[in-house]
Amino acid sequence: MSEQQRAGASGDVNLVGLSKSFGSNTVVQPTDLTIPAGSFFAVLGASGCGKTTTLRMIAGLEEPTTGQVLIGGQDVTGLPPYKRPVNTVFQNYALFPHLSVAENVAFGLRRKGRKDVDGPVKEMLELVELGHLGGRKPAQLSGGQQQRVAVARALINHPQVLLLDEPLGALDLKLRRQMQLELKRIQTEVGITFVHVTHDQEEAMTMADTIAVMNGGVVEQLGSPADLYESPRTKFVANFLGQSNLLDTRITGTSGGYLLMDVHGTRMALPVDRTAAQGDQVVMGIRPEKIAIQHASAADSNGNRNRIDGGVIVDSSFIGVSTQYTVRMPWAQEITVFEQNMERDHRLVPGAPVVLHWNPDHGFGLAPEPATASAAVKA
Amino acid sequence: MTATLTPQTGGSHAGGSHRRATPPAAHQLSAPARALRWLRRNVVTLFGILALAYMTLPNLVVLLFSFNDPNGKFNYTWNGFTLDAWKDPFGVAGIKDSLITSLEIAFLSTLFATVLGTAVAFALGRYRFRGRGLTNTLLFVPMSMPEVVMGASLGTLFLNMRISFGFWTILIAHVMFCLSFVVVAVKARVLGMDPKLEEAAQDLYASPTQTFLRVTLPIAAPGIGAGALLAFSLSFDDFVITNFNSGDTVTFPMFVWGAAQRGTPPQINVIGSAMFFIAIAVVIVGQVRTNRRKQKAS
Ligand SMILES: Nc1ncnc2c1ncn2[C@@H]1O[C@H](COP(=O)(O)OP(=O)(O)OP(=O)(O)O)[C@@H](O)[C@H]1O
Ligand SMILES: [Mg+2]
Repeated sequence: MSEQQRAGASGDVNLVGLSKSFGSNTVVQPTDLTIPAGSFFAVLGASGCGKTTTLRMIAGLEEPTTGQVLIGGQDVTGLPPYKRPVNTVFQNYALFPHLSVAENVAFGLRRKGRKDVDGPVKEMLELVELGHLGGRKPAQLSGGQQQRVAVARALINHPQVLLLDEPLGALDLKLRRQMQLELKRIQTEVGITFVHVTHDQEEAMTMADTIAVMNGGVVEQLGSPADLYESPRTKFVANFLGQSNLLDTRITGTSGGYLLMDVHGTRMALPVDRTAAQGDQVVMGIRPEKIAIQHASAADSNGNRNRIDGGVIVDSSFIGVSTQYTVRMPWAQEITVFEQNMERDHRLVPGAPVVLHWNPDHGFGLAPEPATASAAVKA
Repeated sequence: MTATLTPQTGGSHAGGSHRRATPPAAHQLSAPARALRWLRRNVVTLFGILALAYMTLPNLVVLLFSFNDPNGKFNYTWNGFTLDAWKDPFGVAGIKDSLITSLEIAFLSTLFATVLGTAVAFALGRYRFRGRGLTNTLLFVPMSMPEVVMGASLGTLFLNMRISFGFWTILIAHVMFCLSFVVVAVKARVLGMDPKLEEAAQDLYASPTQTFLRVTLPIAAPGIGAGALLAFSLSFDDFVITNFNSGDTVTFPMFVWGAAQRGTPPQINVIGSAMFFIAIAVVIVGQVRTNRRKQKAS
């Protein structure tokens, strides 16, 4: 354990101005990033945004066009993959088909010259609950079992950093959830830095300490799951992690730490420190579950909450724990509202006139144009 | 997102064991109908057996006549059973030397063709370089060109270069025509190999050399093995090309050809049958070993 903790303490990963171009196509823009030792770090982004490429540069399988990779403070940019203290769980596992499960797991130790591999291999297979299948070939395992072999094969080497490239992508929903918990448990147990690439926002949120959201080769925002969810700084982040309603506004002034704004003729407020944009135009975002919905006839005066009158329900769907309403605003925009099913108002059916209101502190402010690459880095 | 798009496993296969409606009992059908139904059920088996017989019948004739006690020089008509030829398989002048020559040439040309062909296959399968397309096309020339033409041209070439015919000219010729087959067999395997496997090996501390020896080569091995076996059998029984380039050297096929003019001792059948049995034994041993490995694994 002490050996692992020491490894963990030096498991910082630093990317310094790291970028990658294939020909004239730059798929990873120059990126500066620090991944703290011992953390569960998720890289989240849509398909083709450069996640795998970034991971491969850390592993040494892809040569960066510019920049450096530092692991535990040491510059490894020039080192080939087999000399880096890093192991990878590949997107499609890449298990050696000609070797048994046990020999797959023992591969790294043997290359490092270890002779007594039986003990550690057995231990590692127990950890991933495959102790009885060591003699099989990878082709004789289910997808979930292969995935666990891939994790065991990498973990047994006690790397300073474990890179996981969508390791759960091929699994069905149930197994996926189960493996998420398992990976999280293993990470806590061994204390190694995990860099986990995924395009599943739910997976990133449940597993990671820190999430980096990538878009078009750029890390748009970095933060804890709650941070990213509560205070997204770009439209992409606001919509990639959960759903957001985005309202165009015009700033009219400030008062006591709040921006005052005009939203299609309605006065609203937004905390200055929750706004990631300057200028007199700000897009206000509000999460669907933060909005209260009331039938127009039942609406009381809502104090100093942000409030929109004149909405009409155009659609409602019952999802069990909550009901999702689509409400058309007087200016024809449609807003999504999630309402918990505590006391359901049976008048809230399509066609009903409604009032929406929410706590101004729950809104967040974004720049009006989709953030360009350089703007996001500077922000 | 994809999670919700992934089709859920299970469920759809539940209760999958449908029972066919039971066919009408046999005794209710007329005799021709019954025969027809039997034929319909067994037609694949029947054709399989016929094809197998067609392929093995010549071998069985060779085997049978290895026990013949021929009357005169030619072993073409059955004259009586004897074990003489089996007891003394090399009891004909020249037969042993020709067999040894053939085995030597087959071993050496297999070795050279396999090593060279594997290297070529990796180059063609892995790297892009100038002339790659041309090489790929030219590889098929030795396979498609009539052997007589190739043998004659090679003979002309050796003659013009003033290289005297013999063991080495035969070897060069055999390596040449075996090469294409090895390349084709190995290349298929190389192209089918996931390049991620080599990256995984490097990620797990294997140097390029170790990666090649521990991952690349073992995975390509079945292709290399198939290519080598093919090369061996092609070389061992080649007659046409050898005949143009052999000089005084006599390989086993050439001995048989010569014997056919002078007379055919049953010893030829003995050695032919022995080759047949060795080949079958190799296949069976291989099969049994794979099966045993599979059983151990599960
Ligand atoms: N070897 C290569 N040559 C040229 N372009 C490449 C190469 N590898 C990747 N790319 C391109 O780089 C971009 C980013 O690829 P990358 O594999 O990093 O995406 P990703 O974020 O991992 O996507 P996914 O979620 O689909 O795995 C893609 O547009 C891809 O086409
Ligand atoms: Mg990828």
